[in-house]
Amino acid sequence: MGLGPKVYTEQMASSVKAHEMRQHPAVRTKRRYSWKTALVAYVFLLPTLIAIALFSYYPALSALLGAFTNWNGFNPPQWVGLQNFAQAFQDPIFLASAKNLLIWSLVGLPLSLVPSFVVAELIFHLRSTRAQYVYRTVFVLSFVIPSVVTILIWQYIYEPTGLLNHLLISMGLQSWTQSWIADPKYALWAVILMGFPWVNPFNLLVYYAGLQSIPAELFDAAAVDGVSGLQRIAHIDVPMVLSQIKVLLVLSIVGVTQNIVVPLIMTDGGPGNSTTTPVFYMYEQAIQYGNYGYSMAIALMLFVVVMALALVNIKYFQAER
Amino acid sequence: MVRTGVSWRSQWWTHGVLSILGFVTLYPIIFMVFNALKNGIETAASPFSFPIHPHWNNFVLAFQAILPAFWQSIIVVIVSVSFMLVFSLLSAYAFAWLQFPGRELLFYVVFALLLIPGILTLIPLFIEDKNFGLLRTPWGLIFPYIAGGQAFCIFVLRAFVRNLQEDLFGAARIDGAGDIRIFSLIVAPLCVPILITLGLLNVVGIWGDYVFPQLVLGTQHETVAVAITNFIPPPIAPSLDAFNLQLAAFTLSAIPIALLFFLLMRYFIQGITDGGIKM
Repeated sequence: MGLGPKVYTEQMASSVKAHEMRQHPAVRTKRRYSWKTALVAYVFLLPTLIAIALFSYYPALSALLGAFTNWNGFNPPQWVGLQNFAQAFQDPIFLASAKNLLIWSLVGLPLSLVPSFVVAELIFHLRSTRAQYVYRTVFVLSFVIPSVVTILIWQYIYEPTGLLNHLLISMGLQSWTQSWIADPKYALWAVILMGFPWVNPFNLLVYYAGLQSIPAELFDAAAVDGVSGLQRIAHIDVPMVLSQIKVLLVLSIVGVTQNIVVPLIMTDGGPGNSTTTPVFYMYEQAIQYGNYGYSMAIALMLFVVVMALALVNIKYFQAER
Repeated sequence: MVRTGVSWRSQWWTHGVLSILGFVTLYPIIFMVFNALKNGIETAASPFSFPIHPHWNNFVLAFQAILPAFWQSIIVVIVSVSFMLVFSLLSAYAFAWLQFPGRELLFYVVFALLLIPGILTLIPLFIEDKNFGLLRTPWGLIFPYIAGGQAFCIFVLRAFVRNLQEDLFGAARIDGAGDIRIFSLIVAPLCVPILITLGLLNVVGIWGDYVFPQLVLGTQHETVAVAITNFIPPPIAPSLDAFNLQLAAFTLSAIPIALLFFLLMRYFIQGITDGGIKM
């Protein structure tokens, strides 16, 4: 596979015998390097560094610089300072998208974290390991379905003649039927609540792994002391999987902020910008209108917000421990 | 392990809740498969029902429509994920076990990328592909995917490699093995479960990615996710059945991932379970 290891010759390998450099880092007080080890390290790192320089840092820097320019993709970019940012705060569509994202996050983050945890709890505390295995498989199964498929099926569920209205009619609730994603009153809520009952396979497995790593003695002690299930969850389970919750929270913040596929393939941001998101607006500005500078300013603002949230989150949780 | 506090009643309650939630979670998939086997008239009349007279031909027609996209996706996935894993395992080994000047700095250079969201680079990557002449070629996807996977893979692999028994290396070193030997004969084989986990996560991510491929490849060389979203049924199919054929295409798009998943499930769960998915 790959170019990786083939590039290096066998002589290079055998010439590296720096045993003395192998001590545990904590033991060594004075930092001395073997140039042979260093050379091997650089060669090992080279493919990664070339890849991220060209296809991660270069585009990230061009986004950073582009945000301060007026650029339509053809003429050379002109430096305009903070004008794009000022424009964004007076742009009603951008502001609408920011408000949508706020609502989406406030509702969406609990939905991505809590139901998966509840299901992981329920599965983990089943006595039969066979039943645990079966349920785990059932909930993880939806992992194989591409997310565009899930979104498109939900689009059908929400259509005026779709499954949700069919279901309501069959329950005698004809008056409740709506054209869910075509009505600006309901569209945002329909897309936020999509995916009921919101059990995310990846989050579920991460929580489950966290629960598995809790020493069994803790549960036994709790059982002996007659601790109720809810007390046990609050005092043992949640604190013990806090590091998993932290990672999943950061990943969910990043995920909800990057929400572009739903508006792109399902609602086109409509009706009347009711489901547009900042990322979708960024995309539209660049691809449909060619306003690359403005688009990158929006991307940069999102990036700053996400980064700030992630750092606060990491700091806060580290202080807790 | 003794769990004396749990009575059979609470377990029945748990089974009930899990069964209902499991059914509702899987319902979109059940709906998809059932209706992929009906024709348009049957779906309109009873979308919930079981397909009594399955139209297997729907799958044949849908497969013909998305076959080129299948090949395109398979190439992109295999090339991207292989290089991604080889590069990141090499770097993880260097960060975990080798001492060199600039280690700390390079460490931050790589891990800062964990904080850079894909949306920031989406449009610049598109422009970069255009300037490099990579638009409408699979390389326009493959290079960014390889780079994009590095930070997370190295993050997980470094912790894993660091936790390997140092004695193993010590013995090999006394026998005169260099880093390349140790890497390829000891470290890489021990990393197989975690590599499978990371590989599977990335295969699923790339296979299902929609936004970037439709920008880079357009509709001429589309990947599976793009082809099923903008599904165009073959002209010989009755237009009433377009939705059913699209559902058949959805089902087909999940099959390669499902196969991989069932083959590798054991490693996958083991990988997430022992892996470093925590801070």
